[in-house]
Amino acid sequence: MCKDSNSFIALMSGSKVFLQQVLALLAKDLKTEWRTREIFTSMFVFAVLVLVVFNFAIGADTELIRQVASGVIWVALLFATVLGLQRAGQLESEEDSLQGVLLALRDRSALFVAKMIAQMVYLLAVIICILPLCGIWFRIDFIACIGGLGIVFALGILGLSIVGTLFAMITLHTRAREVMLPMLFLPVSVPLTIAAVYATAQLIAGKSLGDIADYLTLMVIFNIVFFALILIVFDYIVEE
Amino acid sequence: MRILGTMLLFFIVFPLVFVRRNSLFQITIMYITMIVAIFLVFIYAPTEKVQGIVQKIFYFHVSSAVTMSFAFFVVFIASIMYLWKNSDWWDAVALSAAEIGVVFCTLVLITGPIWARPIWGTWWSWDPTLTLSLVLWLIYVAYLMLRIDAHDSKRARFAAILGIVGFVDVPLILWSVEKWRTLHPKPVLIQEGGTTGLTSAMLLTFMVCLGAFLLLFFYLLRERISVLQSRHALEVLRHEIDEILAG
Repeated sequence: MCKDSNSFIALMSGSKVFLQQVLALLAKDLKTEWRTREIFTSMFVFAVLVLVVFNFAIGADTELIRQVASGVIWVALLFATVLGLQRAGQLESEEDSLQGVLLALRDRSALFVAKMIAQMVYLLAVIICILPLCGIWFRIDFIACIGGLGIVFALGILGLSIVGTLFAMITLHTRAREVMLPMLFLPVSVPLTIAAVYATAQLIAGKSLGDIADYLTLMVIFNIVFFALILIVFDYIVEE
Repeated sequence: MRILGTMLLFFIVFPLVFVRRNSLFQITIMYITMIVAIFLVFIYAPTEKVQGIVQKIFYFHVSSAVTMSFAFFVVFIASIMYLWKNSDWWDAVALSAAEIGVVFCTLVLITGPIWARPIWGTWWSWDPTLTLSLVLWLIYVAYLMLRIDAHDSKRARFAAILGIVGFVDVPLILWSVEKWRTLHPKPVLIQEGGTTGLTSAMLLTFMVCLGAFLLLFFYLLRERISVLQSRHALEVLRHEIDEILAG
C-alpha cells in the first residue's frame, strides 16, 4: 500500500535523491517550455485578454477601475492558471509520458513538487509581463508598493500552484477535463483569492504591510495546510 | 443551555438510529418526530414579535444547516477511512453523505433568501455564513460531478481526496469571508442576530425539528448506502455470470 510518511521524511531530511529528481523533472519541463513557449504564451495572451475585456466591462471611470484593479488582476491570474495547467496536462498525457516519469521515480511527490514549481515559474513570468500593462491601462503606480506586492504575489502564486497542480493531476483522469479543472479549482481556492485580492487592493491604496498582516497570515496558513495535505495524499492520486 | 440541549439530543438520536437494525422502527420514530416537529413549529411555538410568521422558517433553515454540516463532516471522515481501509463501504458512505449534504445545502440556500427577503429587505447578502454555504455547495456539487466524470479505477480515490480537501477548506473559507465582510459596512437593513434570544418554547421546537432532520439524514444515509451496496452486489453477480457464459 501507500507509504504516506515517506514523502514527508524524504522532504524533511532534505533527501538528496528527492531534490535531484525534482530538479531533473523541473529542468525537463522548463526546457520543453523554453523551446516551444507554448504554455507561457497562451497564459499571457489570455491574461491580457481578461484585462482588456474587464476594462471594457467596467467603462471609462478611472477611479472605479483603480478600485477593482486588484480583483481584475487576480481573476486574470486565476484563469491563466487554469489555462496553463490544462495545457501542461495535455502535453503530459500525450504518449503516456506521465507513466514513464512515474516509473522512474522513487518518491512520487517529487513529481508534484516539480510540477508545482514549474507552474509558479510560468505564473511569475505572466505577472512580470502583465503588471506594467496594468499600471499603464489602469493608471496605477505599482512601483510605489512593489515590495509588499512581491510578497503578496509570491504567496498567491504559490497557493494557486499548489491547489492547481493537485486538481490538474486529478483531472488528468477525467473525461471532461476542461470543465472539471475550473469546477474543482476555483471554489477550493476561494480563501486564497479573497485574501490575495484584498491584500493587493490595500497595498495599491497605499496601506503598509502591517495593515494586511491578517491576509498574509491567511495565505501562509492556506499554503502550509494544502502543501502538507497534498504531500500526504499524493501517492493515492498517481497510484495505479 | 442550548449547547447542552444539542448534546443531549445527539446522545438520544445516535443510539436510536444505530442500536436498532429494524428499519420499520426507525421510520416510525422518524415519522412521529416529524409530525411533532410540524405541530410544534406551526401551533405550539409562539410567533415572534418583531419578525412575525416568517421567523418560523428558522426552524427548518437552521436544522438544514446543521444537518448539512454534519453530512459534510461524515464525508470527511468516510473519505479518510476509505483511503486508510480501502473498503467500498466507506466509499458508499462518503458518496451517500455528499449527496444528502448537497440536498440540505440547497435547502439552506433556498430557505435563507425566503427569510431574508422580508426581514433584511433583500434576497441575498454576502453575509459570511451565506457565502460559506454557497461555496460549500459549489465544492460538493463539483465532488458529485467528479464522481460521475472520473475514470472508474480512480473514481473513489479522487472523490475521497476531494472530500478531505473540501472539508479542510471550510475553516479557511469561513475565516476569509469573515475578514472580507468586515471591510464593508453592513447594510442598514441587515440586523445581526435576528433569531437570537429564543424563548424556551422556541428552543424546544427547534430541538425537536433538528432531531427530525437528523433522523431523516440517518435514514436517507442508510437507505442510500444499501442501494449502493445492492448495486455493487449486482455488478459482481453480472460479472460472474459473464464469466460463466464465456468460460
